[in-house]
Amino acid sequence: MTRRLRDIARKVGRPLYVNRRLVNYYWERTRRNKLAVLGLAFISFLILLGAVGPFCTLDPTLVDFEQKNLPPVGFTTVKSVYDIETDELASTEVRGIWKHPLGTDSKGRDMLAMIVSGARVSLLVGLIASGIAIVLGTIVGVLSAYLGGWADNVMMRFTDIMMTFPFFLLLVLIVFIFGPRLAFIVLAIGLTGWTGTARLVRSESLSLRTREFVMAARAMGASDGRIIFRHLVPNVISLIIVIATLSIPGVILAEAALSFIGLGDPTVASWGIILEAGQHSLDTAWWVAVEPGIMLFLTVLAFNFLGDGLRDAFDPKSNI
Amino acid sequence: MGKSWLRAYILKRLLYAVIIAWGILTVTFVLVRVGPSSPADRYLANMTASGQDVSQIVEAIEARYGLDKPMYEQYVEYMGNLFQGKLGWSFSNSMPVIDLIKTHWIYSFQLILLSSIFAALVGVVVGVYSAVKQYTKTDYIATFFSFVGISLPNFWLGVMLILVFSVKLGLFKTYYDTGLPLFSLDNLKALVLPVMTLGTGMLAGYVRYTRSAMLDNLRKGFVTTARAKGLPERTVIGKHVFRNALLPLVTIVMFDLGSIVFGGAYLTEIVFGIPGLGQISFNAIFANDYPVVVAVTLIGTSIVLLVNLVTDVAYTYLDPRIRYD
Repeated sequence: MTRRLRDIARKVGRPLYVNRRLVNYYWERTRRNKLAVLGLAFISFLILLGAVGPFCTLDPTLVDFEQKNLPPVGFTTVKSVYDIETDELASTEVRGIWKHPLGTDSKGRDMLAMIVSGARVSLLVGLIASGIAIVLGTIVGVLSAYLGGWADNVMMRFTDIMMTFPFFLLLVLIVFIFGPRLAFIVLAIGLTGWTGTARLVRSESLSLRTREFVMAARAMGASDGRIIFRHLVPNVISLIIVIATLSIPGVILAEAALSFIGLGDPTVASWGIILEAGQHSLDTAWWVAVEPGIMLFLTVLAFNFLGDGLRDAFDPKSNI
Repeated sequence: MGKSWLRAYILKRLLYAVIIAWGILTVTFVLVRVGPSSPADRYLANMTASGQDVSQIVEAIEARYGLDKPMYEQYVEYMGNLFQGKLGWSFSNSMPVIDLIKTHWIYSFQLILLSSIFAALVGVVVGVYSAVKQYTKTDYIATFFSFVGISLPNFWLGVMLILVFSVKLGLFKTYYDTGLPLFSLDNLKALVLPVMTLGTGMLAGYVRYTRSAMLDNLRKGFVTTARAKGLPERTVIGKHVFRNALLPLVTIVMFDLGSIVFGGAYLTEIVFGIPGLGQISFNAIFANDYPVVVAVTLIGTSIVLLVNLVTDVAYTYLDPRIRYD
C-alpha cells in the first residue's frame, strides 16, 4: 500500500521531481519576490518551532497561581493584592521575568510554551485540512473534466451547492452537530473546503484534455487511469501548489475562529483557544490576547506572501 | 441576438437556482439527521437538566419533531415546513425562530451594509489609484497594506480595537449598546469599531481586486486609442478603464459575500455583542437550540443564492457582449 502511494506520489510530482532545471527556474522566479522569500523563511521557522519547540519550553499545561498574569519581559503591570492584615487593597507593580519571557495567563501558565504548542496545532490543522481539501478537489476536478457528460454535470452541480453555503456558517453547523473534537474539525474543514480547488483544477484539466500529448497517449491505448495520473494530474501540480499555499491560511483562520467562538477542541491549546481566553482578561492581562493573535496574523501573512510569489512564478504570462 | 436567448438563459438560471436550493436543504437535512445527537437528544438534555420527568416527555418530543415517522416522511415534512416559512420553535427564546429572526436581522444588516459601503468607497479609490500609479512607492505601500488587511484575523482585530480604543483610551464602549435607536448618531458611533473590524478585510480585498481589474484593462487597445485621440487622462481612466473593470469587480465582490463577509459578520457580532443573526446563532449553540443554528445557516445560504442569481442576470444586461449557451 505504501509502495503504491509512493509510486503515485512519484508520478504525480514527476515534472518537478525529475526536472531539476524546471525547479531551479521556478525557484529563481520566486526568489525575485522578496516578500515571498520572507514568507518562506517565516514558515520554515514556524515548522521548526512546531517540531522541536515543545521539547525546549516549559510544560504549557503547568498551572501556577503564584505567578499568574505576569507581563512579558520589558513590560510592567499594576496588580491589586488584598492584604489580609491591613484589610486593604495594595497596588504593586509587577515586572516580567525571564522564566516566562512572554508572560503568563490567568492560571499562571507560561505563554511562550502555549504559543509554541499552539504553533504545532495550527500548522498541523492547516496542512492536514487543506491536504484533504486539495486531494478531494483535485479528484473531483480531474474526474469531472475527464469524464465529461452527465458525470461532469452532477459533480459540478454538487460543487455549486457546496459553494453556495457560506463557508463559516456551514462549518459552525457541522461542528455544532458533530461535536468539537479537533480531528473532526480538521475533517469538517477539509470536507467543505474543496470546492474552489475542484473548479480551478477542472478548468485547467479541460484544456489539457484536448492537448496533443493526451490524444497521443489515448491513441497508443493508454488506460483512463494512466492518462489521469500520468498526464493530467502532473500537469496541474503547479496550480495545486499555489492553491494549497493560498488555502492554508484560510484553514488556520477557520480553526482559530471556531475556537474563538467556543466551538474549538477544549483539550488542545490552539492559538484560537488562547485568544478566546485572553479576550476576557483584556483589562488584567492584555498580552494573552495579543500574542497568539500576532502569531496568527504573521503566519497567515507569510502564507499569503509565499502563495502570491509562487503564483507569479508559475504563471508564464507574468514577467517578473 | 434577439431577446429570446436571454429569456432562455434566465429561465435556465432560475431552474439551476431551484435545483441548488433543493440541494442545500437536502444537505442540511442529511447533516442534521446523520449527526450523533439528534435535535430531540439536545432538547431532552435541556429538559432533564431542568428537572422534568424524562419518560413523560420523550414521546411528546418524538411526536413533536416527527421523529417517530419514517425518514422520507420526515424529509417531506421538513421541506413542506420550510416552503411555508416555518423554521421551527426556539425553546431557549420561547418563540418561533422566524419571529426571532425578524427582530434581529436588522442588526446584521446595518453592520454588513455600513462595512460594505466603507470598504467599497475606500477600497475602490485606493485600488484605482494604485493601478494607475503601478510600480510607484504608493502602489507598493497600498499593495503591502492590502496583504496585511487580508491576513488580519478579523475577530482578533476586533479584540485589539477594543483593547486600544475602549480599554486603554476609553473612547468607545467595549460593548454595543442595544438600547440606542437605529437611526441615530450614537448608534453610528457605537458601530465605528465593528465596521472597522468587518470592513478592513473587505477593504483590503477590494483594493486587490480593483487594482488587478484596472491593470487588466489599462493595457487594452481601446485605452491606447482613447489616449491617441487626445482624451484627457481623467476621462480615459474614469470612462474607459474603470467602467470596464467594474463588471468583473462586482462579480468577485458578490462572491465574497458568502465566503468572507458572512463569516466575518458572525465573528464581529460576537466580539462586540451586537444582537444580530450571528449572535443569536452563537447563543443557540450553547443552549443546544437546534432550529436556530440551522435557520441562520439556511438564511445566509439563501441570500448568497439570490445574490448570485441577480448578479448573473444583471451581468447579461450590463454587458451585451456576453452570450451564454
